[in-house]
Amino acid sequence: MAVTALGISGSPHRHGNTETLLDRFLEGAKVAGASVEKMVLKDLHYSPCRGCNACHKTGECIVNDDAIVLYENIMTSDCIAVASPIYTMGITAELKGFIDRQQYLWARKFILKTLYFSDNHIKRHKGIFISTAGLGWDNVFDGAFPVITALFNTTGFEYYDNVIANDMDRYGGIKNHPTALADAYGKGQKVVRVLEKLRAI
Amino acid sequence: MPTKVLAFAGSPRRGGNSETLLDWVLAAMTKEPHVVVEKVALTDANINPCRGCNACEKLNKCVQRDGMDTYHDKIIEADVIVLSSPIFCMGLAAQVKALVDRAQVFRSRKYVLKLPIVPPERKGKRLGIFLATAGQNGDHVFAAAIPSVKCFYHVIDIRDADISYLMINNVDEKGAIERHPTATVDAENLGKDVIAELKKRLAL
Repeated sequence: MAVTALGISGSPHRHGNTETLLDRFLEGAKVAGASVEKMVLKDLHYSPCRGCNACHKTGECIVNDDAIVLYENIMTSDCIAVASPIYTMGITAELKGFIDRQQYLWARKFILKTLYFSDNHIKRHKGIFISTAGLGWDNVFDGAFPVITALFNTTGFEYYDNVIANDMDRYGGIKNHPTALADAYGKGQKVVRVLEKLRAI
Repeated sequence: MPTKVLAFAGSPRRGGNSETLLDWVLAAMTKEPHVVVEKVALTDANINPCRGCNACEKLNKCVQRDGMDTYHDKIIEADVIVLSSPIFCMGLAAQVKALVDRAQVFRSRKYVLKLPIVPPERKGKRLGIFLATAGQNGDHVFAAAIPSVKCFYHVIDIRDADISYLMINNVDEKGAIERHPTATVDAENLGKDVIAELKKRLAL
């Protein structure tokens, strides 16, 4: 069975810089032989976490919407590429709304102890963060990394790599960036090859 | 004229730890004379996420018609803006991030269109407070939220030095903050101090 790579686009802006970068990553993954799928959060129907903590008792979210379907999809993927532009020094509210919904998985792991990922599992599941920012500041992605780390940790993915490009305002968009698109394509290919090799072990 | 405090309770869990912390701050403020406090629960505020359309860079207003129509004006009118959020997955709650991102219209006004946010005589006379609670231990749990909070205050003309913070970690279950050794006193002092500082600046 082919390696499965799931792209999640967290931008409200269709086909903008971040989604273009995600598309290049997924193209690279496809060329390397992966079965590729892209989900666009703005087209899904889900609400943010209510903080009710009902999942702490049951391990299930009381809100049954597209977020749960997407988490099920994540849990059966070998590679996830999570993409968001930087808005106000963090990921978008759409992606944050989705990530906050992982609480039921967190509860299974840390409260109910019904979900566990072995080191071997984590090594064979790779998470990639894809992002662009208008500003050229070096620290512009710093607010996003811990949140993405939390998502990968809870869902059993190794935080494998970033495909990030800042200073979009100066470049006038991702298409004018000297390396980002090629970098995304190369990293898409590479992660699939690495996952295939790990399967052979 | 009374001093206006606008407070956003960012948690979807009503009456939880971050909102309790907020209520303590607001109660201390209300004890001071001529202070009017308005608390808004973001879970009921109908504030959609920013669409990233950048239309506000030209229009000087947002193309979306929702709760932000009201809060846009209230943010400008307020002397103190308090924002409270629980930490979810190492960051602001999504409901708070939506509000913060919708401040993009102020950012466009200030940095792209070079227009004032508040009249010149009110500059430096607005104060901000960020309140947060987190279930996890360790000071690093607030680190990812702070840059977004700073941006929010900067674009609404509240300077970096004029933001106060009270962030309490290791409080998870509802009511846990009640048992925290210093949170109540810290919150009361913060509320009192911020109003005193504001009145000094407004020469009231």
